[in-house]
Amino acid sequence: MKVKRNVFVAVEAEKGHKTDWLRKLFAGDHEAFGEFVDKYKETVFMCCRTLGLREDDVEDVASETFLAAYRSIRRYRGQAELGTWLWKIAYHRAVSHLRKYGRTGQLFDEDIEQLADMRRRPSLDVLEDREQAESVWRLVMRLPKMWAVAILLFYREEKSVSEIAKIMKKRENTVKTFLFRGRKKLKELLAAGQDFDVRK
Amino acid sequence: MSGNEFNKDEFDEMLGAELRQHTEPVPADFAAKMLRRISQAEERRILARVVLQERFALAGCIVLGAAVIVLAVVYPGIADALTGQIAGLGDKLTKTVSAARLDWQVLVVFAAVFGFAAYGLWDLLVGDSY
Repeated sequence: MKVKRNVFVAVEAEKGHKTDWLRKLFAGDHEAFGEFVDKYKETVFMCCRTLGLREDDVEDVASETFLAAYRSIRRYRGQAELGTWLWKIAYHRAVSHLRKYGRTGQLFDEDIEQLADMRRRPSLDVLEDREQAESVWRLVMRLPKMWAVAILLFYREEKSVSEIAKIMKKRENTVKTFLFRGRKKLKELLAAGQDFDVRK
Repeated sequence: MSGNEFNKDEFDEMLGAELRQHTEPVPADFAAKMLRRISQAEERRILARVVLQERFALAGCIVLGAAVIVLAVVYPGIADALTGQIAGLGDKLTKTVSAARLDWQVLVVFAAVFGFAAYGLWDLLVGDSY
């Protein structure tokens, strides 16, 4: 088991993590876990918000995610990359939270009202880089939550379709469909500029 | 960048680049709060384990006591023999101590063992709440 862990530490170290930090992290060291939280907190908050959790619930679910990660980090055997492993925990915590409050229906809904608001957005051509990025971000956030998560994982986090399928516990073909539809919709929205109508 | 025309590669590149620029707002003290919460959870976990151990010990005492009573009722012969042996234990102990009275080294060992046993009993019964 120790050999396997050492091999894994070496693999993760190649991805830019410090070997010493990884060893401390897997031994349950508090300080190392603090660094882990700092490194991945944005990812976890992003996952919760993308899945449409209410702002009041986001911090709670993010805390639960890190608490679950802390409890299971000693048993972590490098089945997936560290970030992928944490995404999986965050994703399922957030979906469980939505399920608990009977809000899983929203995972496939488009935010029609907010998409309609996008008609009033300025064209990307006239925006500064930063504003342009935020504009694209807001468009992604208006997509059905499942599509948005798949788009973020694929384009922002640069996960493979197979990794996304494992995180979301979906078939690879389903993930490909999410990506295809999400991409198509984004393309339409971006291309149509101010004149699109999402209800069509 | 033109909003109206994309080819597949350009669009994918643009999308990835724009999404990577986004920074997600996170409360400033989140990591510190998280570590505090983890410490509290750890303390609660340790406390729960101690409480569980004590409950097992108490349950063990009750079960052992009940087993002795059941044994005495079901097998009175064994119980009589046992009480006889326990009654004889005092005499045997007195004789042993009398024999060792002149041997002060043995008495020191007995005293040390007795002291350790008394401390162990005190620690078990009142040590945590003292």
